[in-house]
Amino acid sequence: MTTVKDRPKPVLLPELCKGCGRCIEACPKHCITLGEEINQTSGLVPVVIDYDVCNGCGLCISACPEPYGLTTDGYELEDPAKLFGAAAHHGRSPAAVEGRTLPLPKCEPLVLKGNYAAAVGALLAGCRHVFGYPITPSTEGAELMAKFLPKLDGVFMQAVSEVATVNHMYGCGGAGLPCMTFTSSPGLSLMLEGISYMIGAEVPAVFVNVMRGGPGLGNIGPSQADIKLLCRGLGHGNTHAIVLAPSTPQEMLDLTMEAFRLAFKYRNPVFVAPDGYLGQMTGRVQLPEEMIVPGVPSWAVFGDEVHRGNLINSIYLAETDLHAHNEKLQEKYALITANEQRATTYRAEDAKVLVVAASTPARMAKSAIEHLRQEGHKVGLFSPVTLWPFPIDALRAQLDHVEDIVVVEASAGQLEDELRLALSHAGLAGVRIHNLRRMGGLLPQEPEIRERIHAIIAEAA
Amino acid sequence: MNSTHESSAFFEHFDRHAHGKGLKGASTHYCAGCGHGLAHKFLSDAITTLGVQDRTVAVSPVGCSVFLYYYFDVGNTQAAHGRAPAVALGHKMANPDSIVVSYQGDGDLASIGLAEIMHAAQLGVPITVIFVNNAIYGMTGGQMAPTTLPGQWSTTCPTGRGVMEGAPLKVAELIAGLDGPIYVERVALYDQRRRKAAHKAIEKALRLQVEGRGFAFVEVLSECPTHLKMTPEDAEHWVRDTMTKTYPLGVLKEVERDPWFEGPRPKFDVSQMVDMIEAIPTDKAPPRFGGGFPTHLDPEDVALKLAGAGGDGAQTAAMLIARAAIREGHDATHIPSYGPESRGGTSYADLHIAKNEVLSPGAASPHVLVAFNAPSLKKFGPTVRAGGVIVYDSSVITDVPPLRDDVRAYGVPLASIARDLGVPLVKNVVALGAVNAAAKLLPDEALLTTLRQALKDKCALLASNEAAFAAGRDAVLNA
Repeated sequence: MTTVKDRPKPVLLPELCKGCGRCIEACPKHCITLGEEINQTSGLVPVVIDYDVCNGCGLCISACPEPYGLTTDGYELEDPAKLFGAAAHHGRSPAAVEGRTLPLPKCEPLVLKGNYAAAVGALLAGCRHVFGYPITPSTEGAELMAKFLPKLDGVFMQAVSEVATVNHMYGCGGAGLPCMTFTSSPGLSLMLEGISYMIGAEVPAVFVNVMRGGPGLGNIGPSQADIKLLCRGLGHGNTHAIVLAPSTPQEMLDLTMEAFRLAFKYRNPVFVAPDGYLGQMTGRVQLPEEMIVPGVPSWAVFGDEVHRGNLINSIYLAETDLHAHNEKLQEKYALITANEQRATTYRAEDAKVLVVAASTPARMAKSAIEHLRQEGHKVGLFSPVTLWPFPIDALRAQLDHVEDIVVVEASAGQLEDELRLALSHAGLAGVRIHNLRRMGGLLPQEPEIRERIHAIIAEAA
Repeated sequence: MNSTHESSAFFEHFDRHAHGKGLKGASTHYCAGCGHGLAHKFLSDAITTLGVQDRTVAVSPVGCSVFLYYYFDVGNTQAAHGRAPAVALGHKMANPDSIVVSYQGDGDLASIGLAEIMHAAQLGVPITVIFVNNAIYGMTGGQMAPTTLPGQWSTTCPTGRGVMEGAPLKVAELIAGLDGPIYVERVALYDQRRRKAAHKAIEKALRLQVEGRGFAFVEVLSECPTHLKMTPEDAEHWVRDTMTKTYPLGVLKEVERDPWFEGPRPKFDVSQMVDMIEAIPTDKAPPRFGGGFPTHLDPEDVALKLAGAGGDGAQTAAMLIARAAIREGHDATHIPSYGPESRGGTSYADLHIAKNEVLSPGAASPHVLVAFNAPSLKKFGPTVRAGGVIVYDSSVITDVPPLRDDVRAYGVPLASIARDLGVPLVKNVVALGAVNAAAKLLPDEALLTTLRQALKDKCALLASNEAAFAAGRDAVLNA
């Protein structure tokens, strides 16, 4: 039987005592008192224990808010190395669980609505966690996921808001699994806080933002008026993310799959940004050759032994630490800008007038270009697939023969601003820039694109 | 309770606290007399007692306990202000075996994060929420919290919380009023007895999660001597004598629930995936019916518009044509345009069939128009190209507007044919048969195969649909 004398006495580490005195009230023997001497290391006044009276009951220890203020065994006071020395980590090093691919059989083309195609792309990319809040014109994506994911023993969770959505994603992506949402412009606005956190904490996730008319509630017509937000305004801080602009249901599938690859490659959110028209459009969709079984990256906070020491975090209290973290992010953005610019062209090889357009306006432009070519005009299309980073390198290659650029877009010049910024940063000048803009849920139509280009050609001549 | 560093979930050295330099490597950032440290110790004990340190994910909030991750040797995620329960659910869904703790203060949970905590609690998925209520904003410097007591001074209610600042929010009562949680208790730290109860409650809340039973919530009344501008001892007395009057201690909800939470454990099976998305492996695909591209309409790209009122079935008919065209190896697109209401308003479908690639998916000037009602014919009839084809419902359109001479127009009594067949809803399939006969888009069999595929789960409707298709076709052929 343990006698009073055998009980270990509490060990007080005076440096770690803040002198709050909670232990004083807790002590039934009244053997602890507020001290009077300032501790030279901490600058605080620790309590004093009268060990002659102490019976080792331990109540003071349970009253002490400091993990290592009062302990039963304490630190070896003589050994400062143990107190202030190197990290005593649990010693495991985080390891990755590798993903793998499974070959898909060759299949007949599917006939899918754009939103469905993006959902299928996400499933094939290994995404089994979808969070979302319904908003037109993106709802079909969530609905298909709600139907399919239970069959795959995955999760579709309808969140209480877009704010909750992005934070579910922050948790799930932080756990290292591929997750996504479908949203539309007002929803994106609400998600921006969480997106900034995700970028800061380097959490991968995919956002399919099916753009609708704004500002405010606007309407549910197709739009491209989130380009500014996506390319320049992803929440507070120095943020960037890859923004992909599909132009067909096929690309809705392909680019959504690719978005997951890029999100994990760079540990950053990736945005798929179709206009609302494309979300609603049905077309031919060929399946890829394989589907993905995701792993768990080494950095993930998965909640298992190998990932125990990990941290998902965007707070860096020391300014120099946050500066260094920002520099790291900037290096990542530079790497993305160098490696991931993508664009397609259509009959651009000898074009004097080059249409710059993304998503549905690019398709509308293709048709206009076909007509104009038949009339003998040298007109082509340059379609950015990455809105950020803007594919300036591919555009530069066209500028030796292009005299006029006409930016065709469903926004008030947001794509044109990206173009102009990219040209300016690249030190490129000398090309005339025109535009055709529609807003409020309207898309530039093929006849008006033709008309605009006719006018530009006439003006140049 | 004897918390020692040998059996705790704390890091042995706080490397994340100011890079672990000096005293900060072994002490917390909390002020003297703050209750957070005690709540941390109780949580640490619960984690080690239950043997779940490897599986634990601690979600830290914004507020004084933002730096929870300095201390806990577990998986850590730091969340945005108020969002910790949403983040916690993301973790729990990602790994149902993880033990997820959302640790939040009153500014975080009770104010900006009220929506997240209410819905997480109501969902009832097993996570553990520790809510530290000290009736004030600590980290930002002593501003009013939703939990600040009536008359209590803060920097943003400098004359004391009055009627214009509202009444304090009793969060534990609020959570206990929901169906989702299985355990809600309010505890305090001001004396040994309460600390023991707090320790027990936190362990219980975690155990209920470990056992997969449900959502558990512990509100901890805590001292903030710094912003209460009291000594630590006075702060303890204030919680005891004043705070508990508004926030009485005890169990507010406790229900027995058997372990139920299994969590998602996703599958990755190729044949299941292929079946689910209804992809047809090429080696099992039925043959094409041939017939080539309808070059008599356009060498490359045929545009169609199907227009009517919502409920006419224009979208379904358009979708069937698009599917059949793609089955036949063409490209096709379909884009719906609805009126303000999805039922009963105007509804038209723009459809393209292209030899190689549909360029512009809009059909501003179509080759083929199907008009189900008079306004549609009036609006879109004049947009049909030279050499184009119009099929309109002659049973509802009696007054045909003037149409250009180089367009072939077929008045087919779509609605009355369908009615005669006894199935008014198949009007659009009558139109399908009629327009295919009039415009010779695709082999009939291609459309019928697609139709049968679409009705594979509604076999009872097959006969009437096939009859409708034939009737529409015959009406044009016999015209």
